[in-house]
Amino acid sequence: MRELKISYKITFDKNGSRVLEPSVDLQYAEKISDNGAPILEAWSVRGSEGRLYICRQQKDGHDVLTGRRLTERKGLSGKAKVTVSEPFSIAADVVDLERVLVPSTADSLLVIRKTGEVRVYQNDGNTFSLLQSFTPFGDAKDPHIDAAGFIFGNVSVVFQGNQNEEVVWSLFPQKQADGQILRRWGETHQCESLAGVGQGVFPAAGNKCYLSVAGGRMQIRNMTNGSIRWEGAAPASPIKQVVFSRNYNRLAILCADENVYRWAITDHHPEASWNTFFGKIWYEGADGPDYTWQSSSGSDEFEAKYSLVPLIYGTVKGTFYALLFAIPIALLAAVYVSHFLRPEWKLFIKPLMEIMASLPSVVLGFLAGLWLAPIVDTHLIPILCVIAVLAPGALLAGYLWSKLPQRVRRQVGPGWEFAYLFPFIVLCAYGAWHLGPTIESTFFTVKDIASGQNISDFREWWRQSTGLSYDARNSLVVGFVMGFAVIPIVFTIAEDALSNVPNSLISGSLALGASRWQTVWTVVVPTAISGILSAVMIGFGRAVGETMIVVMATGNTAVMEANPFNGMRTLSANIAVELPEAAAGDTHFRALFLGACCLFALTFVVNTFAEILRQRLRERYKMN
Amino acid sequence: MASSSSDNSTPKGEPWVWFTSIGLLVGLSMVAGLLVLVLINGFSVFWAPEVPTVKLKDGTEIVGQFVQRRIRPNSPASNPQYERQYQIGLRELNVTSYVWVDELNITAEKIVPETLGLERMENGPAFLTPKTIVDSSGKQHSANATTFSIIRTEVEQASNIRERVLDINKNKIGAINAEMQEARIALRRAEDRQEPTVELTDKIKKLDVKFSELKTEAEEISKLSVKAHLEGIDAKGRPVTIPFEAIVRAWEPNRMTMLDRVGLMFSRMHEFLLDAPREANTEGGLMPAIFGTLVMTVFMSLLVTPVGVVAAIYLKEYAKDGTLLRVVRICVNNLAGVPSIVFGVFGLGFFVYVLGGTIDQLFFSDQLKYNNNTPVFGTGGLLWCSLTLALMTLPVVIVATEEALSAVPRGMREASLAAGASKWQTIRDILLPASAPGILTGVILAMARGAGEVAPLMIVGVVKLAPTLPVDGIAPFLHLDRKFMHLGFHIYDLGFQSPDSDAARPMVFATTLLLIVLVVCLNLGAITIRNRLRARFKGASF
Repeated sequence: MRELKISYKITFDKNGSRVLEPSVDLQYAEKISDNGAPILEAWSVRGSEGRLYICRQQKDGHDVLTGRRLTERKGLSGKAKVTVSEPFSIAADVVDLERVLVPSTADSLLVIRKTGEVRVYQNDGNTFSLLQSFTPFGDAKDPHIDAAGFIFGNVSVVFQGNQNEEVVWSLFPQKQADGQILRRWGETHQCESLAGVGQGVFPAAGNKCYLSVAGGRMQIRNMTNGSIRWEGAAPASPIKQVVFSRNYNRLAILCADENVYRWAITDHHPEASWNTFFGKIWYEGADGPDYTWQSSSGSDEFEAKYSLVPLIYGTVKGTFYALLFAIPIALLAAVYVSHFLRPEWKLFIKPLMEIMASLPSVVLGFLAGLWLAPIVDTHLIPILCVIAVLAPGALLAGYLWSKLPQRVRRQVGPGWEFAYLFPFIVLCAYGAWHLGPTIESTFFTVKDIASGQNISDFREWWRQSTGLSYDARNSLVVGFVMGFAVIPIVFTIAEDALSNVPNSLISGSLALGASRWQTVWTVVVPTAISGILSAVMIGFGRAVGETMIVVMATGNTAVMEANPFNGMRTLSANIAVELPEAAAGDTHFRALFLGACCLFALTFVVNTFAEILRQRLRERYKMN
Repeated sequence: MASSSSDNSTPKGEPWVWFTSIGLLVGLSMVAGLLVLVLINGFSVFWAPEVPTVKLKDGTEIVGQFVQRRIRPNSPASNPQYERQYQIGLRELNVTSYVWVDELNITAEKIVPETLGLERMENGPAFLTPKTIVDSSGKQHSANATTFSIIRTEVEQASNIRERVLDINKNKIGAINAEMQEARIALRRAEDRQEPTVELTDKIKKLDVKFSELKTEAEEISKLSVKAHLEGIDAKGRPVTIPFEAIVRAWEPNRMTMLDRVGLMFSRMHEFLLDAPREANTEGGLMPAIFGTLVMTVFMSLLVTPVGVVAAIYLKEYAKDGTLLRVVRICVNNLAGVPSIVFGVFGLGFFVYVLGGTIDQLFFSDQLKYNNNTPVFGTGGLLWCSLTLALMTLPVVIVATEEALSAVPRGMREASLAAGASKWQTIRDILLPASAPGILTGVILAMARGAGEVAPLMIVGVVKLAPTLPVDGIAPFLHLDRKFMHLGFHIYDLGFQSPDSDAARPMVFATTLLLIVLVVCLNLGAITIRNRLRARFKGASF
């Protein structure tokens, strides 16, 4: 065995073009095996421990594998000390060895038998021990594996069977019979292969594509999403070696007839497909197909995951909680202001709502994240109590009011209800706030795992009784603060629609003896319902696109849980966080643009619909 | 609800009326609560309260400004325990500037009159008991109740020197750097084209000489204040020596009168509004961000007003009523509903990469070629931010202008036409002047929206720290290609990206206050103008 070091010297010639001068130095020379048989194949891989050399020889009519380790320790003087282990035999129990796959990490190797069985041997520091064995085409008539190859990253292998089948097996965490969860090989993808005898699987460098050759045709496929990137005729003579360029733009094939065929690849986004963005994809290392957005990581071999589904889910979730809070308040306020409030107050309320609409969302987001979230975190139950008490409190106040003698009621004119309600509601809220701890200790007492004591803490209770997470920056905070952005818009449009209801209708209803509430509820609201609907839709549009509040008030984790006590990652927040760092033109960059397109499409459809509704309404009023 | 047959009968559904009023009440309390919160927190940043000396159970003491009180994490909900946060400063000794103290650990809190507060150039503020003062002439004074005036004059002197050095470093050396950059590019081009380079190399040499001259001048000046320093001991009894050149401001928090405190507040506000930021933006002023926001907003309104007004005039006065007009109207309203971030994405994809890239190819190919492919307009900048926001606020202006045009009494229009004016003359001389306040309202509202928007700007050219302002004394004075700072982005960056969130918090609140005041004032202005306009046309016949 000899190790050669190839180094390149880069120089620039007169014209400024780069010249590479390779030089080859001999590093070590050592015998890898001494049984005298000729070496058929040899591998040299670098693991965490050092180098590993494996050779394949034919001996006594069958192939044997021999390995040898080389460890290199840098001494203090900087001179490397090299120790070489004794040769050891690998997979000695396999007598019908057909093919060996050695990953560049040297932590395991795959031995394929003629019977179609794959045996995985694990590097245990000294020798290799059997970890797992499986037969990818066990169900087929002939389970023989025609060809196999590692995919870039060394955790997936593509197997070509001879029944036009192609399957991908990957390493991922699986539950074993004894309940342990261990990383084992399992089938992750199945794809229709080219017809004919499998002639080879050759991985691309730097991404998860591979060249699959069978029956005189060849395809470049993406392993993860299964899409076929290209298909064409294979060279006539058998393929000996295939090399992809590092940046996936060239392909060279060396054939048995000693010709080299070269292709230029124009496929800038091999990882993109409909499935990638909107479908469930089984990514390497995951325990099943899922919707995932994870665009970057520290590792080189990381495969970016671009499913927009969790982001759309997060957008809808955030919007839902925002509207849940904002719509009732905005619509109630609109009804009250348009038909019950004294008109002179309107001059004050409408500008105030305009100011509320213009509050910069970055300010709202900052207050939500740094001021409100900690408060909600420590006072969740009291806050929920206060919210819960508002509506019944107001109804109760109204009921009590209607029970007062008419004399008292006449003292104050209609249109001042909110001013009288204010102290009453403050009292109710005060009571609810102080009732909060009692409620928490009555209903939400759990055993603290750390101390073993009973504590009354809703957060812990929620985690233990539902198994869901609890974050300080959660959907409730987002919903509440997004209310600042949504309420004024919905209010303004709904109020317009309600106050534009022709006076003749209202007067008619009142003249027939209906009370003011009956008039509003049975005449005004039904007449203006399309305007109200359009207000809700425009509020939806605003909530969908809200960016800074969500960026700052949620944890921005792309999870798909309806849980109100954790965060979300919305399309808009995702763009704002990732676009400044994305490289122009690459798949990530374009995936973000696709996200923006989705957002635009969503708001465009909703807004157009709302606008058409409003125009209809306007025309109807015109006729009256 | 039940109604009785007596005189006390109430109209049906009265409780529901009360129920609807809760919506208004919640909405109002939300706005009021937010404004009060921002006002209190914003102003308290500038206020200098008394600085207590807090004695702890273990016998140690801390001196620091009280910041906030909160429930201790993991304390039982039924019997909450509190902890207090103090800003103790002196980061070089205390490692962190802010500490949380369990209230159960506090044995006593007293006000020591000698305590001196120092705002410093770095490492946060310092609270200490002064011992010796060495002034710039080298004379020693031992500290007592009357030596504060010496401290104050020394601080003032040091800050004058600092300003002079800053002026040299920033303005003069900055101008030379710009010239140098240009000369280097020219030199590279000349070399490339094999033109004579003697002149250019000479110029660069001259600039180099000038540069080093200025550098030595700055060093000379800063030497003036090296000697003067202040010696004292901190709460733990450790000696502290602080040179006056490192001190921005000194105050005696426990001896000051109310008037002094107000004075200090104004001095801090002055710094906040007019100085550049220090210490990773967490201290100092906001001038670049205020200026950047202003320039961007004004430039945006210059772009959006003509386009919006012309579009509205066309829609209102010339376009024929029909399906097309309806579609255009829907689109304009739709544009208003498109999320701002989408505008940002569009700005990046179209303005920055397509327009900017083309401009660079056409006009700045030299710069690209000889300056390591550094794009000029092909990257985010002031122009693209303004354009993006102009596009975003276009519907605001169009809608406002259309409304203003419709509000012009029909009589005026008809009188003008009857007097023989053409349609264009009527628009130019009658309609536009009459609707000017309405248009102005729209523009102000657009400015308010533009000033508060952050999400699209993050993508098209706002940065957290810009070395230069978008407008300065170096030709061509208005630098449309420069990246700039923005109040809103400042809030986001400080509040969420700052490594020391405690130290950033006051600055964020102050910035928030400023931004809110700016936006609310713009809105109030627009509302006032609109109300006046309404009053003006109220009497007119429509």
